[in-house]
This record gives sequence, C-alpha cells and structure tokens, in this order.
Amino acid sequence: MTDTIVVGAGLAGLAAAIRLAQGGHKVSLLTFGLGGLPLGQGSIDLLGYTHPAGSSHPTADDQAVADPWAALPGFIAAHPGHPYALLGTDTIKASLAWLAELLPDWLLPSDGVNHLVPTALGAMRPTLLIQPTMSWPSDAKSVAVIGFQQLKDFFPELMAKNLTQTAQVSAKGYLLDLPARDQEVDSSALRYANAADHPDFVSRLAAMIKATIEPADLIVLPAMLGLASLDPWRSLESTLGTRIVEAHLAPPSVPGLRLNQALTRLAQASGVRLIIGSKVIGYEGEGDCLRGVTLHQAGRDQFYGADQFVYAGGSFESGSLTVDSHGLVHESLFHLPLVGLGGDRPLIDGDYWSDQAIFKVGVATNAQLAPINPDGQIVWSNLRVVGGLLPAAVRWTEKSGDGIAVSSAFAAATDLLNQTSPKKDN
Amino acid sequence: MFEAASYESNLLARASLDSCVKCTICETQCPVMAVTPLFSGPKYVGPQAERYRSGLTVDHSLDYCSSCGTCSLVCPQGVEIAELNSVARAAMKKGHTPLRDQLVSRTSLLGQMMKPVAPLANAVLANRPSRWLIEKTIGIHRNAAMPTAQRHSFSDWWRHHRPSKAPTRGKVVYFHGCAGQYFEVETSIKTVEVLEFIGYEVVCPDQGCCGLPLQSNGLFDTARKYVRRLAEQLNVEVEVPIIASASSCVTMLKHEAHDIMGVDDPTVLQAGQRIREVSEFLLSLADAGTLPGDLAPIHQTVAYHAPCQLKGQGMGKPALALLSLIPQLTVIDAEATCCGIAGTYGVKKEKYAIGQAVGRELFEAVERINPQLAVCDTETCRWQIAAATGATVVHPISLLHQAWGLDQD
Ligand SMILES: Cc1cc2nc3c(=O)[nH]c(=O)nc-3n(C[C@H](O)[C@H](O)[C@H](O)COP(=O)(O)OP(=O)(O)OC[C@H]3O[C@@H](n4cnc5c(N)ncnc54)[C@H](O)[C@@H]3O)c2cc1C
Ligand code: SF4
Repeated sequence: MTDTIVVGAGLAGLAAAIRLAQGGHKVSLLTFGLGGLPLGQGSIDLLGYTHPAGSSHPTADDQAVADPWAALPGFIAAHPGHPYALLGTDTIKASLAWLAELLPDWLLPSDGVNHLVPTALGAMRPTLLIQPTMSWPSDAKSVAVIGFQQLKDFFPELMAKNLTQTAQVSAKGYLLDLPARDQEVDSSALRYANAADHPDFVSRLAAMIKATIEPADLIVLPAMLGLASLDPWRSLESTLGTRIVEAHLAPPSVPGLRLNQALTRLAQASGVRLIIGSKVIGYEGEGDCLRGVTLHQAGRDQFYGADQFVYAGGSFESGSLTVDSHGLVHESLFHLPLVGLGGDRPLIDGDYWSDQAIFKVGVATNAQLAPINPDGQIVWSNLRVVGGLLPAAVRWTEKSGDGIAVSSAFAAATDLLNQTSPKKDN
Repeated sequence: MFEAASYESNLLARASLDSCVKCTICETQCPVMAVTPLFSGPKYVGPQAERYRSGLTVDHSLDYCSSCGTCSLVCPQGVEIAELNSVARAAMKKGHTPLRDQLVSRTSLLGQMMKPVAPLANAVLANRPSRWLIEKTIGIHRNAAMPTAQRHSFSDWWRHHRPSKAPTRGKVVYFHGCAGQYFEVETSIKTVEVLEFIGYEVVCPDQGCCGLPLQSNGLFDTARKYVRRLAEQLNVEVEVPIIASASSCVTMLKHEAHDIMGVDDPTVLQAGQRIREVSEFLLSLADAGTLPGDLAPIHQTVAYHAPCQLKGQGMGKPALALLSLIPQLTVIDAEATCCGIAGTYGVKKEKYAIGQAVGRELFEAVERINPQLAVCDTETCRWQIAAATGATVVHPISLLHQAWGLDQD
C-alpha cells in the first residue's frame, strides 16, 4: 500500500515528497505537468522586499531586505494570516537549512543574509540561497557583461548601463558572435547550456573572451554555464583567471532547470514513484478521512488509495485555483474552503501596480496545514496543503514564494512523519 | 486540403492551444529540438503555428517532430501539443507519403513477408551492400536497426500451446501486437507463460495491427480501419482486462486513436479502457498484495529505459517498481527522454542521425551501467538500443519470467 500521495511536482511537492520518502514513507508523486521551477530564477527566496508601514502596494519605497531573519518577526506581526506566521521562524529556518543540505552541488549554505544577484536587466535582486555561480563579489569595481549575438534574450549593454547604478560599478557590454550550435541564429540560454556541457565549447568561449574584452574584476554572462554540472563555470573561471557571475534570463531558466532536475532525481532516488502527465480529478473519503484520489490517465480514470495526502497544486498559475464566469474563486480539486475573499477591496481592481486582493486568496488551514472550514473544523485530517495554495502572501512582490513552498512542505512532511510509524512492505 | 472529418475531430485539441502561456517548458524537454536546429520546437509548431492553420500547412519543420509526445506530458497547462502536431503533419503529407513511409508502416506485412524466408531476410538486412541499395532506393538508413525475422510466429507457438497448470484466478485477453507476432515472439511467449504462472487463463483471439505506425506516418484513413478492426477482434470476454506487452500499441488503443485520429467508436474506446500494459497490470496486483512473492534473486545491475509511448500513458514507470520486487536485481532508470527511434522516425535516411543524437545519452547510460543487458518495454526501442550499444535488450517480463523460474521449461 502507498502511504502518502503528493499532488503537484513544483518546489513544494518535490520537497514534501523527498522528505516523506527519506523519512521512510512510500510516496507517490502525481503531477499534471512540470511545476514552476524551470520558470524561476534558480535561487531560493525567503523574503526580499517589505512595503513601508501602512502601504499594501509595492512602491518605489519598498525596502530590499538585507537580513531576512531580522526582518521576519516584524513581517509576521504585520501579516497575521501569512504562511510564515503559521509556521514560525524556527521551522522556516530549519527547512531552508535542510534544502541547502539536500542540494550541496547546487546551493551554497546560507550565511544568514540575503545576497544581491543580478537579473538580465541589471537589477540587483535580494535572495537567500544562491547557486555557486551567482555570488556577486562586493569588491568588484569593473565589470564586463558578455552576451551572444545569437541569444536574443540578453542585452549586455543595457545590463551594463543599469549595473553602473544598481551595483555601483563601472561596466561595459560585449556581444560575441558565437552560435550555440551549427549556424543557428536564434538560440535559447538552454541551448547554450547544452553546448557549454561540452569542454570544447568552453575553450572556444574562453579564447573569444580573452581576445575581445578589456581587463575587468568580474565577468557577467547569461546563466548558461552548464546544465549537467557547474564544471563549465569552474573551468571558464580558472582558464580566464577572472570571477564569473551568471545572470538569470526569462524562461527557459537554466538555473531553474538545474534545481528542477536535481530535485526530481533526488525524489526518484529516494524511492518516490513519480507519475507525470495525468491530472488528479477527484477524491473519495469518509468523515474527515481522505481515502484516495482519482487520476485521469490515458484510457481510463484510475483510483489511487493512500493513508495520507499532501496537496501542492500551486495556485492560479497552475489551475488549482480558478475564477469562474461569475467572478467566484474555487479550489479546483478538493473544493476546499478559501480565505481572503471577503475583504473591503474588490478582488481585482484597476490599479495595475497594486497587490491585487485576488492573489491573497488561498486555502484556509490550521497551524498543521490541514484544511479547515470557516468554523475552524478540520475538513480532511489526513491532508496537508502546501506551497502556492496557501493564502495571504503576494509571493512575487514579497519574494516569498520559494520560502513558503519549502517551509510549508517541510513542516507538513515532518508532521505527517511524526503521526505515523512507517508501514512495513509485505 | 485535409479530410474535413479528421480536422474537425481535432477541434478539442485545437481548443487547448488557447491555454498556452508560452512558458517554454515543452521546449526545455523536447529531445529533438535539443539535438538539431532543423526542428523549431513543440511550442512553435504546436500552439503557435496551429493558429494559422485551417487545414493548410504553414511550417515544414513540423516534419522533424518525432511524435514522442514528451511535450504533451510535461505541459502544465494541458495543451495537446503532440496531438496537434500529429494531425498537422498528416495534413501536410496527405497525398504524397513516400513509398518508404508506406512500407515501414506495415509491420505485419513485413513480418509475413520475412517469415518464410527468415534466414535470407536476416542475411540481406545484415549485408552492407544490400543495405546501401535499400538506402538509395527506398530511404531506410543503412545503419538503422532492423528487426530479426523469426521462422515461427507467436501464433505458430500458440496453436500448439497447452497451459502447464489449471487457472486459479479467471481470464485475461492477450494482445501481442505485430512485432510480438513476427519478431519479438519470445517476449509474447514469456508474457503468456507469466500470466498463466500467476494463475490466469489466457485467451488470445486472432488479431491484426493497431495502426500506430500508419498513424505516425500520417496515413490516418488506413490506420483508423486497422484500429477499429483490432478493437472488434479483441472484443471477446468483455469483462476481463486485455493485457499487452507492446506498450506503443497500448498507447494507440488507450488514447491516440481517439485523441489524434478522432476515432469515437465505442468498441475502440472500450478496448482502450480495458487494455493494460503487462507491467502496469502486474504492479497493480503487487500493490494489492496478490502477486506470488517467490521470486529468485537475479544478481545483476541493469539500465531501464521507459519508452516515450509508455510514459505518454500518464501512469509513471510501473516496470521500475515491479522489477524492484526481484531480490538482488538493481534496476537503474536511465532517465533518458527518448531512444531516438520514435517508432519509424529513426530508421529514415534523413532522420537517422537525429535519432542517434537523441538516443546518445541513453546509449551512454546503458554502456556505463551494464553493456551486456538492458531493459525496455517497447520493441522498436529495444532494437534501437541494441543496435547502438550491442547490449541484449529485454522486455521487463523476461526478468520476471527468469525470477519465477520459468526459463528452464
Ligand atoms: C509570475 C510569477 C512570478 C513569481 N515570482 C516569484 C519570485 O520572484 N520569488 C518567489 O519566491 N516566488 C515567486 N513566484 C511564486 C513561486 O513561483 C511559487 O510560489 C513556488 O514556485 C511554489 O510553487 P508550488 O510548488 O506551490 O506550485 P507550482 O510550482 O505551481 O507546482 C504546482 C504543480 O501542481 C500540479 N498540479 C496542480 N493541480 C493538479 C492536479 N489536479 N493534478 C495533478 N497535478 C496538479 C501542476 O501541474 C504543477 O506541476 C512567482 C509566481 C508567479 C506566477
Ligand atoms: S509547455 Fe504548454 S503552456 Fe508552456 S509553452 Fe509549451 S504548450 Fe505552451
């Protein structure tokens, strides 16, 4: 018998599945498509920005958070329904340390403060756990930003110009004429990463850089220095004798793909049964005990029974929250009660830049992340709701989506592991 | 112009294109796009180009899509990318399908032709000058993997077969597929023997081709006839599951006949509901605790490749969990997207090199993990992996057959 079913293979679902499997549970991970990791920046955000007191809008006065652990208690006090308030600082801290230990090849251990990493436009964005290729040396004074004529998502001169303000450096942009393969004139960063996985491409790149650029303290390249490993980045740094930082681009995001690949492999290596490509469309249960879910497979619908369940379906972006033609919001799989609907603001207002109220809608849970109804009664005692489905956060302006995913998955898995002693296979 | 009925039956798949958010996830997983700039990718020829098609072709790079279906599997928005592309390609090639594509689409015919002259056929296919001639005249690449003709078909065996013990748990219908009839006869025999060993009475009606190779070569009209006829033939003992060891043919019945060719026939849909890949079936028994447990150890480490067509059924990789029941056997998922054969794609002269490049990571994994023995559920993929690596590549059922001590009989 399967002990636990996890629905959704984004950051939250993968993290929950791995922790449960490593804790001895038999886990099936059911997911419709890939989750959001390949679209993200490939670092782990905890808390990046806070609004000035009294403002619910992101504004130019938003504060980039330097020390998220110092900022968190105040943030929690100001956001009582926020997942971070439910989980508490200790759990959040433990979860991020756990994730960094899980991915030693890909994430640097945290030094407790936010790093500032460059975006493709040259903004410096605050984030907690970074890949080794993202570490910006604070002593860098001169920067060479290098792009490729055939990589049309990256404009070195624009980035260089912006960096002079955002990072207080002198910076110059260069465009190299180096196709990712053959004569291809329009390649994504992923094709460059595939190319860079072969040492001969890295040698050609090194030679071209040496021949082209003026000396600089730091080289910035689009994030493409390896998908299979970070060896291409290491070898280029040592050949050139200059530090290199990667800037992440619009999707497909190579750093995001690295994390997705690493976590998916880890899940499988931990014994997780991964079932991709079918949607969970129904469930069965009695009283407050869920018995199983129905998977819409090719040919027929198949029932999967389990003892425990984690729902990591994401949010509007992945279809687990929907808005119907009457403007009503629904959780689309278990029809769970939602919070955040009855505020004094309309769900969607005309201000493009505001934190639209609809984005704070999410599934109501207790502190154990079990879904509850408006009376506070538990709907399904053996179900935990994690990640983007949780309410009261605007994940992209706070830069909290990754942290919520990891800490809620960690807390839910820990709780479920504590509740059961692993069943023996027979 | 394309036959109206087929195009309309594609309306549902077309409707899904509006769900595309241009996230590029399909592009990151497409195995063809990763190795050649000749294919502009699933998002581009799928939801993007489809907007401009109304039965007309707008982009010929579509022909380089191998129909592996990976894009549809990974798309988080439910866009039926591969299905759209298959229909559009059929429309593009309608009326000028090369003789070569007509020929490689008819597995049964090839099997029937080769069987009486099996040693000669095998010799011709192993002969370099004759393969050169075949490449020049027909367009099948000289190095492409070819099946080995057998002197006896599965039916020859089945006619004389008597179960070695009385059934203890009801009936199943066995579907062998064309390759299982003429080329992969041993896999078919072992599947029947395993099913009988665990207590089933196996029923095996006369049966033809499911039409999958015709479908993937755009020959929808004939393919529809084939799949309808097959569903009629399998329409015996309607209460019991149909078990198959040919995973790509299972895909055809489970969803491609309906989702790509618009076949709405109740008999076909019903066969699609009843059919189970043999590993899927045995794993469900294992999960229910009703599979005999007395499996002898196999002291081996092997690579396993889950074929695209099997992954496309959206049920994960049942063989992995199933084979983990065999003591001492270490099965390592090669985690390759595709072996590059994609049915008949990789045998074609102009696509052979792409198919080899697609399969390279898998071939390297096989060579690293165990260059002698590898495991894969689909026959054309097994031929491809075997030709590229020199390994013996078996269906998962072979290892179970061995572990249950049935090899000696
Ligand atoms: C535009 C945008 C920008 C963002 N920017 C940031 C940022 O800068 N920083 C930050 O920290 N966060 C950001 N976020 C949020 C962050 O991406 C997510 O919160 C985080 O990735 C957690 O995702 P998840 O695992 O909960 O869900 P997802 O990654 O969305 O995964 C959900 C998975 O569940 C599957 N699924 C859903 N329903 C079903 C079903 N019924 N059956 C089977 N499978 C199902 C889906 O296919 C998907 O694979 C952003 C989000 C968006 C939309
Ligand atoms: S994965 Fe789906 S939604 Fe994303 S680009 Fe491809 S078709 Fe569009």
